[in-house]
Amino acid sequence: MSRVRWLALLSSLLGALAFGVAACGGDDDDSGGSSGGAGISGNTLTIYSSLPLQGTSKGQSEAVISGEKLALKQAGSKVGKYTIKYSSLDDSTAQNPGTADEAQTGQNARKAVTDKTTIFYLGEFNSGGTKVSLPILNKANIPQISPSNTYVGLTTDKPGSEAGEPQKYYPAQTRTYARVVPADDIQAAALVTTMKEDGCTSVHIFNDKTTYGAGLARNIELAAENQSLKVEGDDGTDRNAPNYRSLAAKVKSDCFVGSGVTGENYVQVFKDVAAANPTVKLYGPDGVAEEAFTNPAKGGIPADVGARTKITVATLGLEEFKKRNNAKAEKFFTDYKAEYGTSQPDPYAIYGYETMSLALDTLKAVGDKANDREAVRKQLLENTKDRESALGVYSIDENGDTTLTDYGLYTIKNGLPTFEKVIKAQAG
Amino acid sequence: MEAASVTAAPPKRRSDAVREFISRYGLIAILLILPVAYGIQDLGDDGNLTRLGNNLVEGVSNGAILALIALGYTLVYGIIELINFAHGEVFMLGSLTAAALYSPFGLTPNTATFGLIIGLLAILAISMLVSGTLNVMIERVAYRPLRSAPKLAPLITAVGMSFILQNVGILWIGASQKSVPDLIGSQKQLFEVAGVSVSRGTVLAVLAMIPLVLLLTQFVAHSRLGKAMRATAQDPEAARLMGINVDTTISVTFLLGGLMAGAAGLITALYQTSIWYFQGFSAGLYAFTAAVMGGIGNIRGAVLGGFIIGIIQGISDNRIGNEWTPAIVFVYLIIIMVFRPQGLIGEETREAG
Repeated sequence: MSRVRWLALLSSLLGALAFGVAACGGDDDDSGGSSGGAGISGNTLTIYSSLPLQGTSKGQSEAVISGEKLALKQAGSKVGKYTIKYSSLDDSTAQNPGTADEAQTGQNARKAVTDKTTIFYLGEFNSGGTKVSLPILNKANIPQISPSNTYVGLTTDKPGSEAGEPQKYYPAQTRTYARVVPADDIQAAALVTTMKEDGCTSVHIFNDKTTYGAGLARNIELAAENQSLKVEGDDGTDRNAPNYRSLAAKVKSDCFVGSGVTGENYVQVFKDVAAANPTVKLYGPDGVAEEAFTNPAKGGIPADVGARTKITVATLGLEEFKKRNNAKAEKFFTDYKAEYGTSQPDPYAIYGYETMSLALDTLKAVGDKANDREAVRKQLLENTKDRESALGVYSIDENGDTTLTDYGLYTIKNGLPTFEKVIKAQAG
Repeated sequence: MEAASVTAAPPKRRSDAVREFISRYGLIAILLILPVAYGIQDLGDDGNLTRLGNNLVEGVSNGAILALIALGYTLVYGIIELINFAHGEVFMLGSLTAAALYSPFGLTPNTATFGLIIGLLAILAISMLVSGTLNVMIERVAYRPLRSAPKLAPLITAVGMSFILQNVGILWIGASQKSVPDLIGSQKQLFEVAGVSVSRGTVLAVLAMIPLVLLLTQFVAHSRLGKAMRATAQDPEAARLMGINVDTTISVTFLLGGLMAGAAGLITALYQTSIWYFQGFSAGLYAFTAAVMGGIGNIRGAVLGGFIIGIIQGISDNRIGNEWTPAIVFVYLIIIMVFRPQGLIGEETREAG
């Protein structure tokens, strides 16, 4: 009997030990096996892209992917001795299209973490999605670059962010995230600057309640205060609402900003506000800078509403790049046309191009250590200085933010967002 | 003594008396809280009730569409006590069908009035027929085989059917909201009464809803099939024993619900000027709530519930915030259910009775 007890005790101890080992192994898996400087074995490195490939953002995401693939093709899918494998993931779902689905985004990030060859993760498109993927990737020390996130709280605790941000996205206590677009404090200032130039005396904001939309709306309020533009209201919208007619009747200001993304029913929002207020000037952020919003033939806002709408996007037009003698941008547009046959790519194509270019140049800069996530992370966040890129000359600051601040103002012509001019705006 | 104790009514508790009083009179007061409070506020601020009037007009037009959808829920529940969760998607596919027919019928915002009316009547007939037929097929394929199964089986089948139809919608038009041509100038003002603007879309929604509801009511009240429906709703077994073909009667009920959903589909496409694969989910949820609020199984109750929810939405969107509207609507539903579980003008169903 005592022998049986002894065996039971031994089995329990072994079981506990096995669980402990398994748990430790799990931790290792979580960190991807190369967080501490040990390199990825083999000569293949994987760059994941995670974007919403369904719904209204599909066009923008495809533009980003086209840009990323172009940059990769130009590099011959090689950096030094390493072959770069590109893997495109969809962070949206059929039931939650047009934006990052939280569960799917988490799954994508975990897929990248469990892949021992992962060296970069390019995404998400939506700031709300990055809120999910960033902590997962951060724990595994995987460098991440977003082509489009603008929410301030992802990188700083500037006004517009929420309590606990951005620390809560960096459980490893080190920064692993960078973005190539200016944050929403800059975009908000650009929107308000434009409205002031257009003679607006007051503005009413609707926000889509997403991380991006609500955060940008807060930044617009602050920018409006700084530039003495009266804010009449900031109302959240429910994307499942049958329409926004009653809400639109609240708008009494001479200008309106729809701080949201197309997929949150912002075509309907703009239509209803325009109908309820025939003279109000309409403004939208980069979240609606896509054909699904601008092109009536693709289900976007009608042409008469489009004629009253202006949109801010961080990218500038080809002519502007030419004026600035930006050879890299000109090369991008030439190569893009040669590759895809269009001289007027979606504004997000150049972001995709720069995102991949930045990733590849970072790998190139660390040479043989391109298989070492820590070396790559440090290079990205500490040594990206005065980089000459298709977007212009910029640095990545200690928070992971770009130092670019120029925004492009777009109007809608023939159903396409069309570059008008540069907006010089500074946050604060 | 024993018999007396069985037959004597139990003494009424104070809480029951309060509940009965609120059920009878209090709910009217509760329903009037929003319009009365904001009416007083408007009189103080603006010296008139124009803003409230505009809210009510928007609410009535939204409510008219909800009422048409709610009829499908209430008819089906009334007869087989099934919550047909796929009904919202039948409405959505009606809307998609209608919008898809604009182009083949040559309808554009520039089409002459006569041509537009003829074209829209034809599209109305087709979208009603498509939704009606679809609803009958759903009943035949997914619900009829489960007639004698535990109630959870058809319920979960209905949820599954809802998802299937949503995916049909995605395959058809994609996952994004799509603008469709504004054939009637939906938001253009048709006339104004005391500063309250009435748009073409509002008039269309209400004018289309009234004859459809009247026809449906007359059909259920006076036709042979309508009587069969009421008999089946009361007691299917007894109805069968009396020679009523219960299966056919149930099919007709689904057909009628589908016809109303198809009509609501066209009206929505014209009124909202946009379509979406997911529009049936939210509209269906509100419409089902309307049916429950009014008294499920009761046609007048569904219409009343539709208007009440539409008006709550109209006021809440404008005064409280669009983001809070779903919560406000469901607070109202809960209050009504707590004090009047059978709905505002509902009667006890077989199940409850």
